[in-house]
Amino acid sequence: MAAKSYKRLLSLAAFVMPAFILYTLFLLVPTIGGMYYSFTDWNGLNRAYEFIGFANFVEALREDPDFVHSLWFTLKYVMFMLVLQNVFALLLALFIETKFRSKGLFRTVLFMPNMISTIISAFMWTFVFSQVLPQLGERAGLGFLNQSWLGDPGTSFYSILIVSLWNGVGYMMIIYLAALQGVPQSLREAAVIDGARPWQVLRHVTLPMITHAITICLFLTLNGAFKVFEVVYGLTGGGPGRSTQVITLNIYEEAFSNNFRYGYASAKSVILFLVILIFTFIQISITKRREVEA
Amino acid sequence: MMKKKGSVLVGLVLSLALLAGCGSNAQTGTNDGSAAGGEKATSATLKMFIAQPRFKEQYDAHIEKFKAKVKAEKNIDLTVQVEMPNQDNAAQILKTRLASNDAPDLFVIHAINDIPQYSKAGYLADLSDQPFAGKLLDSVKPAVTNSEGQVVAVPLESLSWGYLYNKQIFEENGLTPPATLSEMEAVIAKLNEQNITPFILSYKEAWVPQLFLPLTVGAAIQTEDGMKDFVERMNEDKGSFSEMKSMFDIIDLVNSNGTDRALEVGPDDGAAAFAQGKAAMWLQGPWYADTILKSNPDIDFGVAALPVSENPDASLINLSVSSSMAMYADTKNKELSLEFLNFLLDDQESNVLYEALKFNPIATVHTFKSYPWVDDATAYVQEGKSYQDPRIPQAVKDEVGKALQSYVAGQMDQDAVLKALDKAWKDYNKVNK
Repeated sequence: MAAKSYKRLLSLAAFVMPAFILYTLFLLVPTIGGMYYSFTDWNGLNRAYEFIGFANFVEALREDPDFVHSLWFTLKYVMFMLVLQNVFALLLALFIETKFRSKGLFRTVLFMPNMISTIISAFMWTFVFSQVLPQLGERAGLGFLNQSWLGDPGTSFYSILIVSLWNGVGYMMIIYLAALQGVPQSLREAAVIDGARPWQVLRHVTLPMITHAITICLFLTLNGAFKVFEVVYGLTGGGPGRSTQVITLNIYEEAFSNNFRYGYASAKSVILFLVILIFTFIQISITKRREVEA
Repeated sequence: MMKKKGSVLVGLVLSLALLAGCGSNAQTGTNDGSAAGGEKATSATLKMFIAQPRFKEQYDAHIEKFKAKVKAEKNIDLTVQVEMPNQDNAAQILKTRLASNDAPDLFVIHAINDIPQYSKAGYLADLSDQPFAGKLLDSVKPAVTNSEGQVVAVPLESLSWGYLYNKQIFEENGLTPPATLSEMEAVIAKLNEQNITPFILSYKEAWVPQLFLPLTVGAAIQTEDGMKDFVERMNEDKGSFSEMKSMFDIIDLVNSNGTDRALEVGPDDGAAAFAQGKAAMWLQGPWYADTILKSNPDIDFGVAALPVSENPDASLINLSVSSSMAMYADTKNKELSLEFLNFLLDDQESNVLYEALKFNPIATVHTFKSYPWVDDATAYVQEGKSYQDPRIPQAVKDEVGKALQSYVAGQMDQDAVLKALDKAWKDYNKVNK
């Protein structure tokens, strides 16, 4: 008996090992290395560096207004994304669910933007924002289109949001679609027979039944939105000035331009890691509680 | 079952072969010293790191000549491994190589931006007593000299720049490049009269507005008595950019007479607009010549010095050195590496190399002919109307680009910009004590 369970364990390990080794080598080790460097003043080049304890963390949160600004800006972005991305994705999924004939077509078309790499879609939209929309506004006399989509600090936030949503909604929609298809038809029919209106069916039958999908989508959005980089990098580069700088861009700038403070940049990354960790923990513990099973 | 086992075996063998492949690569990468002389041909390997893939042909040709020379003179079969990564991530790769004891013998770095840092970390060999050092032009030499006065690199690419102007537009309107601020105002007024936009503004990328800083600071250091030691004082936390407030005279003048949507136009779009004659001037260096000519091969443009005050002597050309080749301080191939560096400025071959690369002359041995816009700038340099690009820390240059973007967007006023620059330089001092 003991030999058998040992064998089972061995085969389990054999299956996990290849992935685990790669994971350790390319993710775990660098992560731990980064955490170690966050306590040093290494500049990425010097052979000698010093261990400076929590000084980097204190500096980032207390004496670095740019970092704090980028933190707040990212939080604002996350909040907008969390609500908008999921609402749009759910609405689209519900809309597609009601179709019978052109389901496949709509699904494909709406998912399409997600297949384009984020940075490329950012460059595409740069062209749209800086050339197409202003021209369109001029020719068609739609004044509101002809504005500084990327040059104005206030407007560029919404430009970033538009591109992120365009790119990300499709993916969430697929998850919601899958979940919606898993809701037993019998439950809905029972509710309708009991006299429930469509809104009530949605609110009291469908939504509770797809909470597990909501959990996943919220998690993915939260995680992705905190780590947003390509869209902002491609559209505004954090500019004008630092007005649309997100945390990742701030870290990138600290490590690879400016003063090449790798240690300090690592400390900022660790802060970002902790922030994401806390937020996702809270989110998961809240939404997990609401999940029900049919 | 057997079949499965077989495929597992094949997989294992394949992955082992892969691993072995890695291993043998690492083996060949090691150097076998520079044993010179001997009857039988010895072999040696030189590793170079040149982050300019667009110049591969030119460098390869020069390296071939060097190999032939070494073979003829020392009977060494030289192998040269040249690594040419993209410029964007070259610095990362080079730093990784240096940190992991896998340093190339020779590598190309940026003279103004990189030398202080790399030199301080102890990666650059002192080349002051090499023959090439005596051939460098006096105006170029300081750029490849570190703070201890040692020559540490061979300059490759040098730039003489101010702003670009469309010669055709200037001629049609009977204008010449202005020498003072008020002359510039007159030029702008004349252009506006003719409904020609004076300046292209392309501030989407922060390094473009950043160009104002070296131009204004460099001119001030050169011409104002109180400013001579500005960089040194800033390095000791004793100066302030409030002394430089007059730089906004020209910045405001340019910004208020430029094209629309400055913050949404990238430099490539700017180059296209300039090439199509959408404005008469563009604050940009001749490094965009290629892009401009691609957009409009017939354009006739020149380089002129930007006026920054009412003093005509302060309208100067910025002379800076960018890519330069340095030698790894602990290289095992010292002799051959030094020989190659000297060969870069060889009395005969150097002309061929620099002309093929379309680089500006940087040494006394260079006698080749260059482009019209280079000649424009060289004319200024020969009259002594140039200054060495001031050694402003990269962090401050990054900051000024961002700050001036915010200034254009109306988020920062002049004082806020100057304060941000002071802070950036202080932070730089703090970090690089």
